[in-house]
Amino acid sequence: MRSFLGFEVRRSLSSPVNLVFLAGFPVLLYLLWTKVLDLASGPVSMVSMATYGAMGGALFIGGAIAMERASGWLRQLAVTPLPAHGYIVAKLVAGMLAVLPSVVIVLAAGALLGGVRLPAGTWLVLPLLIWIGVAPFAALGVAFGYSFRGQSANIVTMVVFFLLAVLGGLWLPVSRMPEGLRVVAEHSPAYQAGSLGWRALDGLPPTGTSVLVLVAWTALFVVLGVWRYRRTAWR
Amino acid sequence: MLELTDLTKKYGEVTALDGVSLRVREGEKVALLGPNGAGKTTLLSIALGLLAADSGTARLLGRPPRETLAAGLAGVLLQDAGLPEEVKVADLVAAVAGMYPTPSAPDLGDLAGRRVTTLSGGQRQQVRFALALAGDPALLILDEPTVGLDVDARRALWRRIQGRTVVFATHYLAEADDHADRVVLLSGGRIVADGPVEEIKALVGGTEVRLTLDAMDAPTLRSLPGVRDVVVEGASATLRTGDSDATLRALFAAFDGVRNVRTSGAGLESAFVSLTGEER
Repeated sequence: MRSFLGFEVRRSLSSPVNLVFLAGFPVLLYLLWTKVLDLASGPVSMVSMATYGAMGGALFIGGAIAMERASGWLRQLAVTPLPAHGYIVAKLVAGMLAVLPSVVIVLAAGALLGGVRLPAGTWLVLPLLIWIGVAPFAALGVAFGYSFRGQSANIVTMVVFFLLAVLGGLWLPVSRMPEGLRVVAEHSPAYQAGSLGWRALDGLPPTGTSVLVLVAWTALFVVLGVWRYRRTAWR
Repeated sequence: MLELTDLTKKYGEVTALDGVSLRVREGEKVALLGPNGAGKTTLLSIALGLLAADSGTARLLGRPPRETLAAGLAGVLLQDAGLPEEVKVADLVAAVAGMYPTPSAPDLGDLAGRRVTTLSGGQRQQVRFALALAGDPALLILDEPTVGLDVDARRALWRRIQGRTVVFATHYLAEADDHADRVVLLSGGRIVADGPVEEIKALVGGTEVRLTLDAMDAPTLRSLPGVRDVVVEGASATLRTGDSDATLRALFAAFDGVRNVRTSGAGLESAFVSLTGEER
Protein backbone atom coordinates (compact mmCIF):
# COMPACT_ATOMS: atom_id res chain seq x y z
CA MET A 1 0.00 0.00 0.00
CA ARG A 2 3.10 2.21 0.12
CA SER A 3 2.66 3.29 -3.48
CA PHE A 4 -0.80 4.61 -2.72
CA LEU A 5 0.32 6.34 0.47
CA GLY A 6 3.15 8.05 -1.41
CA PHE A 7 0.73 9.06 -4.14
CA GLU A 8 -1.71 10.58 -1.64
CA VAL A 9 1.04 12.42 0.24
CA ARG A 10 2.44 13.94 -2.97
CA ARG A 11 -1.07 14.83 -4.04
CA SER A 12 -1.95 16.60 -0.86
CA LEU A 13 1.38 18.41 -0.44
CA SER A 14 1.34 19.67 -4.01
CA SER A 15 -2.20 20.99 -3.88
CA PRO A 16 -2.17 24.79 -4.20
CA VAL A 17 -5.74 24.88 -2.88
CA ASN A 18 -4.52 23.41 0.39
CA LEU A 19 -1.83 26.01 0.78
CA VAL A 20 -4.09 28.96 0.06
CA PHE A 21 -6.87 27.62 2.20
CA LEU A 22 -4.85 26.34 5.16
CA ALA A 23 -2.08 28.95 5.28
CA GLY A 24 -2.97 31.95 3.11
CA PHE A 25 -6.35 32.63 4.63
CA PRO A 26 -5.23 32.32 8.30
CA VAL A 27 -2.22 34.56 7.61
CA LEU A 28 -4.50 37.24 6.15
CA LEU A 29 -6.85 36.98 9.12
CA TYR A 30 -3.92 37.19 11.51
CA LEU A 31 -2.68 40.35 9.84
CA LEU A 32 -6.21 41.76 9.85
CA TRP A 33 -6.71 41.14 13.58
CA THR A 34 -3.33 42.39 14.70
CA LYS A 35 -2.15 44.94 12.17
CA VAL A 36 -5.25 46.48 10.65
CA LEU A 37 -7.93 46.25 13.33
CA ASP A 38 -5.54 45.95 16.26
CA LEU A 39 -8.04 43.75 18.10
CA ALA A 40 -5.83 40.98 19.43
CA SER A 41 -2.40 40.45 20.84
CA GLY A 42 0.13 39.27 18.28
CA PRO A 43 1.31 35.94 19.69
CA VAL A 44 -2.14 34.75 20.87
CA SER A 45 -3.73 35.59 17.53
CA MET A 46 -0.86 33.93 15.68
CA VAL A 47 -1.48 30.68 17.61
CA SER A 48 -5.25 31.02 17.14
CA MET A 49 -4.96 31.41 13.40
CA ALA A 50 -2.41 28.61 13.01
CA THR A 51 -4.81 26.36 14.96
CA TYR A 52 -7.71 27.59 12.85
CA GLY A 53 -5.94 26.72 9.59
CA ALA A 54 -4.77 23.36 10.91
CA MET A 55 -8.27 22.56 12.12
CA GLY A 56 -9.65 23.26 8.65
CA GLY A 57 -7.03 21.05 7.06
CA ALA A 58 -7.91 18.18 9.38
CA LEU A 59 -11.67 18.57 8.90
CA PHE A 60 -11.48 18.77 5.12
CA ILE A 61 -9.81 15.37 4.89
CA GLY A 62 -13.44 14.24 5.07
CA GLY A 63 -14.44 16.60 2.27
CA ALA A 64 -11.89 14.93 0.00
CA ILE A 65 -13.24 11.48 0.93
CA ALA A 66 -16.82 12.59 0.21
CA MET A 67 -15.81 13.95 -3.21
CA GLU A 68 -14.04 10.71 -4.12
CA ARG A 69 -17.03 8.68 -2.99
CA ALA A 70 -19.28 10.76 -5.21
CA SER A 71 -16.98 10.62 -8.24
CA GLY A 72 -16.83 6.83 -8.19
CA TRP A 73 -13.08 6.72 -7.56
CA LEU A 74 -13.77 4.68 -4.43
CA ARG A 75 -15.61 2.13 -6.53
CA GLN A 76 -12.49 1.74 -8.63
CA LEU A 77 -10.28 1.41 -5.55
CA ALA A 78 -12.69 -1.22 -4.20
CA VAL A 79 -11.66 -3.61 -6.98
CA THR A 80 -7.93 -3.14 -6.32
CA PRO A 81 -5.98 -4.89 -3.55
CA LEU A 82 -6.08 -1.71 -1.44
CA PRO A 83 -8.04 -2.47 1.74
CA ALA A 84 -10.71 0.05 2.75
CA HIS A 85 -8.84 0.96 5.93
CA GLY A 86 -5.70 1.47 3.83
CA TYR A 87 -7.54 4.19 1.95
CA ILE A 88 -8.56 5.99 5.15
CA VAL A 89 -5.09 5.71 6.66
CA ALA A 90 -3.55 7.16 3.49
CA LYS A 91 -6.06 10.01 3.49
CA LEU A 92 -5.42 10.76 7.18
CA VAL A 93 -1.63 10.61 6.92
CA ALA A 94 -1.54 12.68 3.72
CA GLY A 95 -4.08 15.18 5.04
CA MET A 96 -2.36 15.64 8.39
CA LEU A 97 1.07 15.98 6.74
CA ALA A 98 -0.33 18.77 4.57
CA VAL A 99 -1.45 20.56 7.74
CA LEU A 100 2.09 20.83 9.11
CA PRO A 101 3.57 23.22 6.51
CA SER A 102 0.52 25.45 6.79
CA VAL A 103 1.05 25.75 10.56
CA VAL A 104 4.71 26.60 10.01
CA ILE A 105 3.77 29.27 7.45
CA VAL A 106 1.33 31.00 9.82
CA LEU A 107 3.89 30.93 12.63
CA ALA A 108 6.55 32.26 10.25
CA ALA A 109 4.20 35.09 9.32
CA GLY A 110 3.89 35.87 13.03
CA ALA A 111 7.66 36.00 13.45
CA LEU A 112 8.53 37.79 10.21
CA LEU A 113 5.52 40.07 9.62
CA GLY A 114 4.06 40.35 13.10
CA GLY A 115 7.32 40.71 15.01
CA VAL A 116 6.44 37.93 17.47
CA ARG A 117 9.49 36.99 19.53
CA LEU A 118 9.59 33.72 21.46
CA PRO A 119 12.30 31.44 22.91
CA ALA A 120 13.70 28.97 20.35
CA GLY A 121 12.28 26.02 22.30
CA THR A 122 8.78 27.47 22.09
CA TRP A 123 9.06 27.91 18.30
CA LEU A 124 9.95 24.23 18.03
CA VAL A 125 7.24 22.86 20.26
CA LEU A 126 4.46 25.18 19.08
CA PRO A 127 3.81 23.64 15.63
CA LEU A 128 3.79 20.15 17.11
CA LEU A 129 1.29 21.07 19.83
CA ILE A 130 -1.01 22.75 17.33
CA TRP A 131 -0.70 19.80 14.99
CA ILE A 132 -1.53 17.24 17.67
CA GLY A 133 -4.33 19.44 19.00
CA VAL A 134 -6.32 19.26 15.78
CA ALA A 135 -6.32 15.44 15.69
CA PRO A 136 -9.98 15.22 16.83
CA PHE A 137 -11.02 17.20 13.75
CA ALA A 138 -9.42 14.69 11.42
CA ALA A 139 -11.63 12.00 12.98
CA LEU A 140 -14.69 14.25 12.75
CA GLY A 141 -13.84 15.01 9.11
CA VAL A 142 -13.72 11.30 8.26
CA ALA A 143 -17.14 10.86 9.91
CA PHE A 144 -18.52 13.64 7.69
CA GLY A 145 -16.80 12.16 4.65
CA TYR A 146 -18.70 8.91 5.14
CA SER A 147 -21.98 10.60 6.06
CA PHE A 148 -22.38 13.00 3.16
CA ARG A 149 -21.57 12.74 -0.50
CA GLY A 150 -19.73 15.19 -2.69
CA GLN A 151 -20.29 18.89 -2.27
CA SER A 152 -22.81 18.55 0.57
CA ALA A 153 -20.03 17.20 2.80
CA ASN A 154 -17.98 20.34 2.10
CA ILE A 155 -20.89 22.60 3.00
CA VAL A 156 -21.59 20.79 6.27
CA THR A 157 -17.89 20.75 7.08
CA MET A 158 -17.56 24.46 6.35
CA VAL A 159 -20.44 25.32 8.68
CA VAL A 160 -19.20 23.09 11.50
CA PHE A 161 -15.66 24.37 10.99
CA PHE A 162 -16.80 27.96 11.40
CA LEU A 163 -19.06 27.28 14.38
CA LEU A 164 -16.45 25.26 16.25
CA ALA A 165 -13.74 27.82 15.53
CA VAL A 166 -15.85 30.69 16.84
CA LEU A 167 -17.06 28.68 19.83
CA GLY A 168 -13.49 27.67 20.61
CA GLY A 169 -12.38 31.30 20.80
CA LEU A 170 -10.08 31.13 17.79
CA TRP A 171 -11.65 34.27 16.31
CA LEU A 172 -12.41 36.19 19.50
CA PRO A 173 -11.23 35.14 22.97
CA VAL A 174 -13.75 33.14 25.02
CA SER A 175 -13.16 35.56 27.92
CA ARG A 176 -15.43 37.99 26.07
CA MET A 177 -18.27 35.47 25.95
CA PRO A 178 -21.20 35.42 28.41
CA GLU A 179 -20.62 33.11 31.37
CA GLY A 180 -22.85 30.17 30.28
CA LEU A 181 -21.50 30.09 26.77
CA ARG A 182 -17.97 30.41 28.06
CA VAL A 183 -18.26 27.17 30.07
CA VAL A 184 -19.49 25.34 26.98
CA ALA A 185 -16.78 26.95 24.88
CA GLU A 186 -14.04 25.86 27.25
CA HIS A 187 -15.06 22.25 26.80
CA SER A 188 -15.17 22.46 23.03
CA PRO A 189 -12.40 20.79 21.03
CA ALA A 190 -11.24 23.93 19.22
CA TYR A 191 -10.73 25.84 22.48
CA GLN A 192 -8.68 23.03 23.98
CA ALA A 193 -6.69 22.62 20.77
CA GLY A 194 -5.93 26.35 20.88
CA SER A 195 -5.11 26.31 24.57
CA LEU A 196 -2.21 23.92 23.98
CA GLY A 197 -0.51 26.65 21.95
CA TRP A 198 -1.69 29.61 24.05
CA ARG A 199 -0.22 28.07 27.20
CA ALA A 200 2.99 27.22 25.37
CA LEU A 201 3.42 30.97 24.67
CA ASP A 202 3.86 31.42 28.43
CA GLY A 203 6.09 28.40 28.66
CA LEU A 204 3.38 26.30 30.30
CA PRO A 205 2.63 22.64 29.50
CA PRO A 206 -0.89 21.52 28.53
CA THR A 207 -3.28 21.15 31.47
CA GLY A 208 -4.73 17.78 32.43
CA THR A 209 -8.16 19.13 31.49
CA SER A 210 -6.96 19.98 27.97
CA VAL A 211 -5.57 16.52 27.42
CA LEU A 212 -8.67 14.88 28.88
CA VAL A 213 -11.13 16.97 26.85
CA LEU A 214 -9.19 16.45 23.60
CA VAL A 215 -8.87 12.72 24.15
CA ALA A 216 -12.60 12.48 24.92
CA TRP A 217 -13.58 14.37 21.75
CA THR A 218 -11.16 12.31 19.67
CA ALA A 219 -12.62 9.08 21.04
CA LEU A 220 -16.16 10.27 20.36
CA PHE A 221 -15.35 11.33 16.79
CA VAL A 222 -13.46 8.12 16.09
CA VAL A 223 -16.48 6.09 17.23
CA LEU A 224 -18.70 8.26 15.02
CA GLY A 225 -16.33 7.87 12.09
CA VAL A 226 -16.04 4.10 12.45
CA TRP A 227 -19.83 3.80 12.65
CA ARG A 228 -20.38 5.89 9.53
CA TYR A 229 -17.61 4.09 7.69
CA ARG A 230 -19.02 0.65 8.55
CA ARG A 231 -22.38 1.66 7.13
CA THR A 232 -20.97 2.81 3.83
CA ALA A 233 -17.50 1.23 3.46
CA TRP A 234 -16.63 1.47 -0.22
CA ARG A 235 -19.74 3.26 -1.36
CA MET B 1 -11.90 -18.76 -13.01
CA LEU B 2 -15.39 -17.40 -12.37
CA GLU B 3 -18.20 -19.39 -10.88
CA LEU B 4 -21.66 -18.02 -10.23
CA THR B 5 -24.26 -20.36 -8.78
CA ASP B 6 -27.96 -19.67 -8.81
CA LEU B 7 -27.73 -15.91 -8.23
CA THR B 8 -30.86 -13.94 -7.55
CA LYS B 9 -31.13 -10.26 -6.85
CA LYS B 10 -34.18 -8.05 -6.46
CA TYR B 11 -34.37 -4.29 -6.24
CA GLY B 12 -37.71 -3.87 -4.52
CA GLU B 13 -40.25 -5.35 -6.89
CA VAL B 14 -37.86 -5.53 -9.82
CA THR B 15 -36.02 -8.79 -10.33
CA ALA B 16 -32.57 -7.97 -11.67
CA LEU B 17 -31.22 -11.52 -11.61
CA ASP B 18 -33.37 -14.61 -11.54
CA GLY B 19 -31.38 -17.77 -10.86
CA VAL B 20 -28.27 -17.12 -12.92
CA SER B 21 -25.47 -19.69 -12.99
CA LEU B 22 -22.33 -19.19 -15.01
CA ARG B 23 -18.96 -20.90 -15.11
CA VAL B 24 -16.01 -19.41 -16.95
CA ARG B 25 -12.94 -21.59 -17.50
CA GLU B 26 -9.35 -20.53 -17.91
CA GLY B 27 -8.53 -18.97 -21.25
CA GLU B 28 -12.12 -18.29 -22.26
CA LYS B 29 -13.19 -14.96 -23.68
CA VAL B 30 -16.79 -14.51 -22.69
CA ALA B 31 -19.03 -11.71 -23.92
CA LEU B 32 -21.95 -10.88 -21.70
CA LEU B 33 -24.62 -9.51 -24.01
CA GLY B 34 -28.01 -8.14 -23.26
CA PRO B 35 -30.26 -5.13 -23.65
CA ASN B 36 -30.09 -2.34 -21.09
CA GLY B 37 -31.56 -3.51 -17.81
CA ALA B 38 -30.89 -7.17 -18.60
CA GLY B 39 -28.81 -7.48 -15.43
CA LYS B 40 -25.28 -7.35 -16.87
CA THR B 41 -23.92 -4.79 -14.43
CA THR B 42 -25.76 -6.39 -11.50
CA LEU B 43 -24.24 -9.75 -12.42
CA LEU B 44 -20.72 -8.30 -12.64
CA SER B 45 -21.15 -6.34 -9.39
CA ILE B 46 -22.08 -9.52 -7.55
CA ALA B 47 -19.27 -11.45 -9.22
CA LEU B 48 -16.88 -8.79 -7.85
CA GLY B 49 -18.35 -8.74 -4.36
CA LEU B 50 -19.40 -5.10 -4.74
CA LEU B 51 -23.03 -6.07 -4.32
CA ALA B 52 -24.55 -8.82 -2.19
CA ALA B 53 -26.84 -11.31 -3.91
CA ASP B 54 -30.17 -12.18 -2.28
CA SER B 55 -29.23 -15.81 -2.74
CA GLY B 56 -26.64 -17.87 -4.57
CA THR B 57 -22.86 -17.74 -4.44
CA ALA B 58 -20.10 -16.07 -6.42
CA ARG B 59 -16.52 -17.34 -6.62
CA LEU B 60 -13.55 -15.76 -8.35
CA LEU B 61 -10.61 -18.10 -8.84
CA GLY B 62 -12.18 -20.43 -6.31
CA ARG B 63 -12.38 -17.87 -3.53
CA PRO B 64 -14.87 -15.25 -2.39
CA PRO B 65 -14.53 -12.34 -4.85
CA ARG B 66 -13.30 -9.81 -2.28
CA GLU B 67 -10.43 -12.11 -1.27
CA THR B 68 -9.37 -12.61 -4.86
CA LEU B 69 -9.43 -8.87 -5.52
CA ALA B 70 -7.54 -8.18 -2.28
CA ALA B 71 -4.87 -10.63 -3.44
CA GLY B 72 -4.60 -8.65 -6.67
CA LEU B 73 -5.40 -11.62 -8.92
CA ALA B 74 -8.01 -9.99 -11.14
CA GLY B 75 -8.15 -6.75 -13.11
CA VAL B 76 -11.42 -4.88 -13.31
CA LEU B 77 -12.82 -2.07 -15.42
CA LEU B 78 -16.02 -0.59 -14.05
CA GLN B 79 -18.46 1.45 -16.06
CA ASP B 80 -18.92 4.28 -13.58
CA ALA B 81 -15.50 4.56 -11.95
CA GLY B 82 -14.32 8.12 -11.36
CA LEU B 83 -10.68 9.18 -11.36
CA PRO B 84 -8.81 11.74 -9.25
CA GLU B 85 -8.76 14.87 -11.39
CA GLU B 86 -5.65 16.88 -10.68
CA VAL B 87 -3.07 14.10 -10.88
CA LYS B 88 -0.87 12.96 -13.74
CA VAL B 89 -2.01 9.80 -15.51
CA ALA B 90 1.39 8.10 -15.10
CA ASP B 91 1.44 8.81 -11.34
CA LEU B 92 -2.08 7.47 -10.96
CA VAL B 93 -1.37 4.26 -12.84
CA ALA B 94 1.91 3.75 -10.96
CA ALA B 95 0.15 4.22 -7.61
CA VAL B 96 -2.42 1.55 -8.48
CA ALA B 97 0.16 -0.80 -10.08
CA GLY B 98 2.16 -0.64 -6.85
CA MET B 99 -0.71 -2.29 -4.97
CA TYR B 100 -0.38 -5.52 -6.98
CA PRO B 101 2.06 -8.40 -6.45
CA THR B 102 3.12 -8.14 -10.11
CA PRO B 103 2.96 -4.48 -11.11
CA SER B 104 2.97 -3.82 -14.82
CA ALA B 105 3.16 -0.44 -16.46
CA PRO B 106 0.98 -0.42 -19.55
CA ASP B 107 2.21 1.87 -22.31
CA LEU B 108 0.07 4.98 -22.12
CA GLY B 109 1.72 6.90 -24.93
CA ASP B 110 0.94 10.62 -24.90
CA LEU B 111 -1.52 10.23 -22.06
CA ALA B 112 1.18 9.45 -19.46
CA GLY B 113 2.19 13.05 -18.84
CA ARG B 114 -1.29 14.54 -19.02
CA ARG B 115 -3.42 15.49 -16.04
CA VAL B 116 -6.68 13.58 -15.72
CA THR B 117 -8.70 16.83 -15.80
CA THR B 118 -7.62 17.48 -19.38
CA LEU B 119 -8.70 14.07 -20.73
CA SER B 120 -11.69 13.33 -22.94
CA GLY B 121 -14.18 10.62 -22.09
CA GLY B 122 -12.47 8.11 -24.35
CA GLN B 123 -9.06 8.92 -22.91
CA ARG B 124 -10.40 8.43 -19.40
CA GLN B 125 -11.66 5.04 -20.50
CA GLN B 126 -8.13 4.22 -21.69
CA VAL B 127 -6.86 5.15 -18.23
CA ARG B 128 -9.48 2.92 -16.59
CA PHE B 129 -8.36 0.10 -18.83
CA ALA B 130 -4.73 0.76 -17.88
CA LEU B 131 -5.76 0.51 -14.21
CA ALA B 132 -7.43 -2.84 -14.90
CA LEU B 133 -4.16 -4.08 -16.43
CA ALA B 134 -1.92 -2.53 -13.77
CA GLY B 135 -1.49 -5.81 -11.91
CA ASP B 136 -0.88 -7.89 -15.07
CA PRO B 137 -3.84 -10.09 -14.09
CA ALA B 138 -4.67 -13.49 -15.56
CA LEU B 139 -8.38 -12.70 -15.24
CA LEU B 140 -9.98 -9.52 -16.57
CA ILE B 141 -13.53 -8.41 -15.89
CA LEU B 142 -14.58 -5.49 -18.05
CA ASP B 143 -17.91 -3.68 -18.02
CA GLU B 144 -18.49 -1.99 -21.38
CA PRO B 145 -14.73 -1.62 -22.02
CA THR B 146 -14.84 0.17 -25.38
CA VAL B 147 -17.36 2.91 -24.59
CA GLY B 148 -16.06 6.17 -26.03
CA LEU B 149 -12.91 4.64 -27.54
CA ASP B 150 -11.83 5.47 -31.08
CA VAL B 151 -10.93 2.74 -33.56
CA ASP B 152 -7.21 2.70 -32.72
CA ALA B 153 -7.78 2.58 -28.97
CA ARG B 154 -10.30 -0.21 -29.46
CA ARG B 155 -7.88 -2.24 -31.50
CA ALA B 156 -5.17 -1.71 -28.89
CA LEU B 157 -7.54 -2.82 -26.14
CA TRP B 158 -8.46 -6.09 -27.84
CA ARG B 159 -4.79 -6.74 -28.55
CA ARG B 160 -3.85 -6.25 -24.93
CA ILE B 161 -6.35 -8.72 -23.53
CA GLN B 162 -4.77 -11.57 -25.51
CA GLY B 163 -3.54 -14.46 -23.38
CA ARG B 164 -5.89 -13.71 -20.48
CA THR B 165 -9.24 -15.01 -19.36
CA VAL B 166 -11.72 -12.25 -20.08
CA VAL B 167 -15.34 -11.63 -19.20
CA PHE B 168 -16.72 -8.50 -20.79
CA ALA B 169 -20.15 -6.93 -20.88
CA THR B 170 -21.02 -5.14 -24.06
CA HIS B 171 -23.94 -4.07 -26.14
CA TYR B 172 -21.91 -3.99 -29.34
CA LEU B 173 -22.81 -7.27 -31.01
CA ALA B 174 -19.93 -6.95 -33.45
CA GLU B 175 -17.49 -6.94 -30.54
CA ALA B 176 -18.92 -10.12 -29.14
CA ASP B 177 -18.75 -11.62 -32.62
CA ASP B 178 -15.14 -10.56 -33.22
CA HIS B 179 -13.53 -10.90 -29.82
CA ALA B 180 -15.41 -13.48 -27.78
CA ASP B 181 -15.29 -17.21 -28.20
CA ARG B 182 -18.36 -17.60 -26.06
CA VAL B 183 -21.48 -15.50 -25.79
CA VAL B 184 -23.76 -15.36 -22.79
CA LEU B 185 -27.03 -13.69 -23.61
CA LEU B 186 -28.83 -12.15 -20.67
CA SER B 187 -32.42 -10.99 -20.81
CA GLY B 188 -34.75 -10.06 -17.99
CA GLY B 189 -32.32 -11.35 -15.38
CA ARG B 190 -31.98 -14.80 -16.96
CA ILE B 191 -29.43 -16.40 -19.23
CA VAL B 192 -31.38 -17.10 -22.42
CA ALA B 193 -28.47 -18.46 -24.41
CA ASP B 194 -24.91 -19.50 -23.65
CA GLY B 195 -22.42 -20.96 -26.08
CA PRO B 196 -19.88 -20.35 -28.83
CA VAL B 197 -20.75 -17.44 -31.12
CA GLU B 198 -21.46 -19.79 -34.05
CA GLU B 199 -23.74 -21.93 -31.93
CA ILE B 200 -25.78 -18.95 -30.83
CA LYS B 201 -26.20 -17.87 -34.42
CA ALA B 202 -27.21 -21.41 -35.41
CA LEU B 203 -29.67 -21.52 -32.54
CA VAL B 204 -31.69 -18.92 -34.34
CA GLY B 205 -30.68 -20.52 -37.56
CA GLY B 206 -32.11 -19.95 -40.98
CA THR B 207 -31.39 -17.33 -43.56
CA GLU B 208 -32.20 -13.68 -43.76
CA VAL B 209 -33.86 -12.35 -46.88
CA ARG B 210 -33.85 -8.59 -47.35
CA LEU B 211 -36.02 -7.02 -49.99
CA THR B 212 -37.65 -3.84 -51.18
CA LEU B 213 -41.34 -3.78 -51.94
CA ASP B 214 -43.11 -0.51 -52.72
CA ALA B 215 -46.57 -1.97 -52.12
CA MET B 216 -45.61 -3.38 -48.74
CA ASP B 217 -47.80 -6.25 -47.58
CA ALA B 218 -46.50 -7.74 -44.34
CA PRO B 219 -49.26 -10.33 -43.79
CA THR B 220 -48.61 -11.92 -47.19
CA LEU B 221 -44.85 -11.89 -46.57
CA ARG B 222 -45.45 -13.59 -43.24
CA SER B 223 -47.57 -16.28 -44.92
CA LEU B 224 -44.84 -17.28 -47.42
CA PRO B 225 -43.52 -20.82 -46.93
CA GLY B 226 -40.62 -21.18 -44.47
CA VAL B 227 -40.88 -17.65 -43.06
CA ARG B 228 -40.47 -17.40 -39.28
CA ASP B 229 -40.65 -13.68 -38.82
CA VAL B 230 -40.81 -10.43 -40.70
CA VAL B 231 -39.45 -7.02 -39.83
CA VAL B 232 -40.75 -4.16 -41.93
CA GLU B 233 -39.14 -0.74 -42.20
CA GLY B 234 -40.92 1.45 -44.73
CA ALA B 235 -40.51 -0.13 -48.15
CA SER B 236 -37.87 -2.64 -46.96
CA ALA B 237 -38.45 -5.88 -45.17
CA THR B 238 -36.25 -8.51 -43.58
CA LEU B 239 -37.59 -12.07 -43.51
CA ARG B 240 -36.08 -14.85 -41.49
CA THR B 241 -36.71 -18.19 -43.08
CA GLY B 242 -35.93 -21.83 -42.46
CA ASP B 243 -36.18 -22.67 -46.17
CA SER B 244 -34.86 -19.85 -48.32
CA ASP B 245 -35.44 -21.66 -51.66
CA ALA B 246 -39.16 -22.15 -51.04
CA THR B 247 -39.53 -18.64 -49.62
CA LEU B 248 -37.84 -17.03 -52.62
CA ARG B 249 -39.85 -19.00 -55.17
CA ALA B 250 -43.10 -18.00 -53.49
CA LEU B 251 -41.90 -14.44 -53.01
CA PHE B 252 -41.31 -13.86 -56.73
CA ALA B 253 -44.57 -15.57 -57.60
CA ALA B 254 -46.55 -13.43 -55.17
CA PHE B 255 -45.04 -10.02 -55.91
CA ASP B 256 -44.12 -8.58 -59.28
CA GLY B 257 -42.69 -5.42 -57.81
CA VAL B 258 -40.20 -7.00 -55.43
CA ARG B 259 -36.61 -5.82 -55.98
CA ASN B 260 -33.19 -5.62 -54.29
CA VAL B 261 -33.50 -9.15 -52.94
CA ARG B 262 -30.43 -10.23 -50.90
CA THR B 263 -29.94 -13.27 -48.70
CA SER B 264 -27.46 -13.86 -45.90
CA GLY B 265 -26.94 -16.20 -42.95
CA ALA B 266 -28.65 -14.95 -39.82
CA GLY B 267 -26.27 -12.78 -37.80
CA LEU B 268 -25.80 -12.28 -34.11
CA GLU B 269 -28.10 -9.31 -34.40
CA SER B 270 -31.07 -11.47 -35.30
CA ALA B 271 -30.11 -13.98 -32.64
CA PHE B 272 -30.15 -11.15 -30.16
CA VAL B 273 -33.53 -9.89 -31.27
CA SER B 274 -35.07 -13.30 -31.44
CA LEU B 275 -33.73 -14.54 -28.10
CA THR B 276 -34.25 -11.43 -26.01
CA GLY B 277 -37.39 -10.33 -27.78
CA GLU B 278 -36.04 -6.81 -27.99
CA GLU B 279 -35.01 -4.47 -30.74
CA ARG B 280 -31.73 -2.82 -30.09
